[in-house]
Amino acid sequence: MLALDGVCAGYSVVPVLKDVSLEVKAGQFVAIVGPNGAGKTTLFKTISGIVRPSAGKITFEGRDLTSVLPSERPHLGIAHVPEGRQVFPSLSVMENLEMGAFTEAGQRAFKRNLDLIFALMPVLADRRGQFAGTLSGGEQQMVAIGRGIASAPKLLMLDEPSMGLAPAIADFIFEKLIEIRQQTNLTILLVEQRVAEALESADHGYVLEAGRVVLDGSNATLRADDRVRQAYLGM
Amino acid sequence: MTSQFVENMLQALAAGILAGAIYGLMCVGLGLIFGVMRVINFAQGDFMMLGMYAAYYLFLSFGIQALFGNVIGPYVAILLATPLLFLFGYFIHKFLISRVTGQRTVQLEGEGHFAQLILTLGVALVLQNGGLIVFGSVLASIRTPLSSSAWELGPFWGDYVSIFVNKSRGIAALFSVVAMVGLWLLIARTRLGKALRASADNPVAATYMGINIDRSYRIAFGLGAAVTAMAGGLLATNYPFHPYIGIEYVIVMYAGVVLGGMGSITGAFWGGMTIGLVQQLSTLVLPTQLQNAAIFVVFLLIIFLRPQGFFGRMVERT
Amino acid sequence: MQTLRSLGPILLAAAIYAAITLVVTNSYYQLTLTLVLVWAIFGLSWNILSGYTGLVSFGHAAFFGLGAYATALGQIYFDLSPWVLIPISVVIGGLAGVLIGLPTFRLRGHYFALAMLAYPLALLYVFEWLGYQELTLPIKRETPFAYMQFSDPRMYTMVALVMLLVVVLITRAVERSRFGMALLAIKQNEAAAEAAGINTLYWKLCSIALSGAIAGAVGAFYAVVLLVVTPPSVFGMLVSAQALTVSMFGGIGTVWGPLIGAAVLIPVSEVLHAELGAKIPGIQGVIFGLAIMAVILMAPEGVYWKVRDWWRKRHAPAPAITPTLPEHVVPFSPAPARQRRPVTGPVLLSVKGLSKSFGGLKAVQDVSFDVHEGMILGIIGPNGAGKTTLFNLLNGFLKPDAGEVMLDGKNMVGRRPHELCVAGVGRTFQVMRPFPRMSVRDNVRVGAYVRAASEEEAQRLADDAVARAGLSSVAHKVAAELTTKELRLMELARALAGKPRLLLLDETLAGLGHGEADEVVAVVQRLAREGVTIVIIEHTMQAMVRLVDHFLVLDHGAVLVDGEPEEVTRNPRVIEAYLGKKWGAAHARA
Repeated sequence: MLALDGVCAGYSVVPVLKDVSLEVKAGQFVAIVGPNGAGKTTLFKTISGIVRPSAGKITFEGRDLTSVLPSERPHLGIAHVPEGRQVFPSLSVMENLEMGAFTEAGQRAFKRNLDLIFALMPVLADRRGQFAGTLSGGEQQMVAIGRGIASAPKLLMLDEPSMGLAPAIADFIFEKLIEIRQQTNLTILLVEQRVAEALESADHGYVLEAGRVVLDGSNATLRADDRVRQAYLGM
Repeated sequence: MTSQFVENMLQALAAGILAGAIYGLMCVGLGLIFGVMRVINFAQGDFMMLGMYAAYYLFLSFGIQALFGNVIGPYVAILLATPLLFLFGYFIHKFLISRVTGQRTVQLEGEGHFAQLILTLGVALVLQNGGLIVFGSVLASIRTPLSSSAWELGPFWGDYVSIFVNKSRGIAALFSVVAMVGLWLLIARTRLGKALRASADNPVAATYMGINIDRSYRIAFGLGAAVTAMAGGLLATNYPFHPYIGIEYVIVMYAGVVLGGMGSITGAFWGGMTIGLVQQLSTLVLPTQLQNAAIFVVFLLIIFLRPQGFFGRMVERT
Repeated sequence: MQTLRSLGPILLAAAIYAAITLVVTNSYYQLTLTLVLVWAIFGLSWNILSGYTGLVSFGHAAFFGLGAYATALGQIYFDLSPWVLIPISVVIGGLAGVLIGLPTFRLRGHYFALAMLAYPLALLYVFEWLGYQELTLPIKRETPFAYMQFSDPRMYTMVALVMLLVVVLITRAVERSRFGMALLAIKQNEAAAEAAGINTLYWKLCSIALSGAIAGAVGAFYAVVLLVVTPPSVFGMLVSAQALTVSMFGGIGTVWGPLIGAAVLIPVSEVLHAELGAKIPGIQGVIFGLAIMAVILMAPEGVYWKVRDWWRKRHAPAPAITPTLPEHVVPFSPAPARQRRPVTGPVLLSVKGLSKSFGGLKAVQDVSFDVHEGMILGIIGPNGAGKTTLFNLLNGFLKPDAGEVMLDGKNMVGRRPHELCVAGVGRTFQVMRPFPRMSVRDNVRVGAYVRAASEEEAQRLADDAVARAGLSSVAHKVAAELTTKELRLMELARALAGKPRLLLLDETLAGLGHGEADEVVAVVQRLAREGVTIVIIEHTMQAMVRLVDHFLVLDHGAVLVDGEPEEVTRNPRVIEAYLGKKWGAAHARA
């Protein structure tokens, strides 16, 4: 569904991604793990078009994304749930979700998706009229994820959904991701620092270090890899 | 307390409310642009000037006067001038402002700042002086018979106190309030309005939702120009104007917007209203030349005491 | 000698200008030549505040107008000569700068710009109200020279040229001193500047006072040249805009900017006005506006920088910029053995019951710990646990709601960051803020001023810090060309240049590969051996375990555990809150 081929990207001063290639197949749950600052968020921003690649090619369902505007990509079915609870603070929870359903697919399926979102995260139903900026960190993260679902995407990209959350809330978010996967059969691309949890739920994983893919493989292969065990799982 | 003083006071209050409603609408236009894009637009006063001349020429030269007469005609001309100024603002943004703001500069926080300021300054210079070339320096005005007649409120307090409300100013104020409510509905209720607010709140996340923030900005810029131009047209039915009139109102607008809490639309309206009241009530105690100085003093006081404004809800931008 | 040579181009330009002045006999063109210099000086004055600090002033006409009116009124009412009144205007402009700066520097960004807009316009109405709608300077036919009323208009240009040279010299002196460095640092990142020991409010006030003084002088001179002063012509928005325009057109933050801007824009507008003004009034404004727009779209930072960057790119020896050694990534490199040192030195920093809330959020609650001399303390915890807030409390960016920060037994709560820097607390930031156009040496020198009495000493301290951070080989490179690792080390060197006893490092290893991280770790270890006490925030556990002597684990703003690395990494609460259950399971099995 999504393929990156030799992608290099960065900001004005420093290159961040160096020759990254990866692939996400339809229906797969793929996790990208790696230390802080390895370029995971930049990778996501490159896929969404906020950061322009200086080399390489990104294709989505066979279509080259190079000339597709960032704002058109969600309409193709790519939902990006950004890092750090980026809600619209002065919009209500409900309006945030409506913004998620800005895509045509999202509008068509809005009623059904709304039911799904509220069923998964009932607290959002209780707070639908509240300004998103007044919610707690965990609730804001739920709004962000709900917004992603509301766009009725083909590919859901989640950037560190557990970041800055208390462990119990983070565990809850992970449980919800697994439930979403089971109920919708969505293709999911996840970036995570919590390597153990990420590798547990994903089918396939990539290890990103200093802007390069240094390792990739199926969930089982990675978890059996001595280097991953030593560096990330602490074994 | 003499009845004369009360009458002066009430008369100033009424004048303040009438002026304030138009100022409010003017401020809303600027507030929209500032609130959505964080762009300081120096040319806003000149957009207003263009709105005045657009209404003026539509009224006089495009048969509107003949068709609708002197009473309704000016308002029809103003309504027609508004979409013209929307297009003007839209394209000014598309071809000029967007080069230094928006998607392109979303990654460089603060860097595009200088460029955007001086660009709108350039636009302002071209509009003012271009206006001088095209329209000439002669004072123009949109004459309506309403401006020389008034409604009398009262008499109150026995027969001693009555207030006169100039008909044309009264209608202009009503017009402003209706336009303001319409704009508020557009921003608060419609899909477009929500997309504009989302773009203002968090441009990057809005892009992730599939909102083209450059388009949002263009529309906001067009709307902002149109709304201020409408206020200009209404002002033109009461006061004579010239190509340099924009500068005189830029400060009024900024004072109102800051007072209302930068970024809040309703706040900007109340901010403009307050400026109108301050201006008119200050005539009771200050010489008229210091009317505008009073506005600046109030403006500075607000900036120091409460930079988040009095009417807006401060929304933390992420 | 070097300064003399660097002044060469300016002196040459001045000589050419003087020659042109002598040739031109048409009095209108001569006036244009004078006005070019007037607006260039005014632009330079604006540049000293806005160009160097980044705080945009829309209100420089306030100083200009005060100078002009002081001179006009002084001559009319007290019969004083401009030779006396210009210096008086300098004082008035400087004082006005301080008076305006004191309240207005509380504001940032757009608010500062808008507040500055209001001052001249309020003054405009006040002077109109006072009845000074039009002041004409009295003509002194008997003693023209004493009243600066030269019959030869070339004299005005010469006086202006001398004024300009003086202002250029002042600007150059500022640029090269700690004053200029402080302003540049404030522009790039006010917080980092404070942390590097720069008293930002003081330097900003110096800058606005100097800027106001120059603007006052040139305003006074303008009144003398034109002999008529009206409120709109000296307080009007177009006057403020003029300063902004010539500087931005020419280039911000350089002496050359306003000179280029004035030399191009003023003659263009004057000539247009003279040639076409009568037939098409306003044409010069239109052309002026179009020129500004064109330049901003093509060279947003001004002509000077555009040309310079282009020149550099063309003349740079291509291979010098990119010495592309085959970059090898060493994934998962084995950890070198850590030499634990006993934590026994006297207590340098003692934190007691520190708390801070933002609204309802308790960012830091009741945190206490001690840092002994010579130790490396590691602070870990989940994102949002309050680590950076704690640093901000330690070096004075934030004032705690409760608690004490004792440095050498003295409570430092309430001190500003630059005072803590003077007391020996250095810090680096999570988000790097290099000064991209400056060399590594100059970047580091900014941090040295807090300890240095002279420029030479600052340079020596900076060179020493560069060497200690292992950056000597790239010391002359421009910061924009550095790698992430070099930038991190440069920030470290900048903190080191102030000779700190306590160094606070915020995520110094972020964004580094394992091999690169090891190099930075080695530098930090060496600093610790040299006696610098270090507190470090870091996420990379592998690096932390081998670096630190002691751990402080924060969670939800409170201390979860405080202990030795072995103890902390096995602690079930730490595993649950930070390391994760999987870590725990792995260690249980191991």
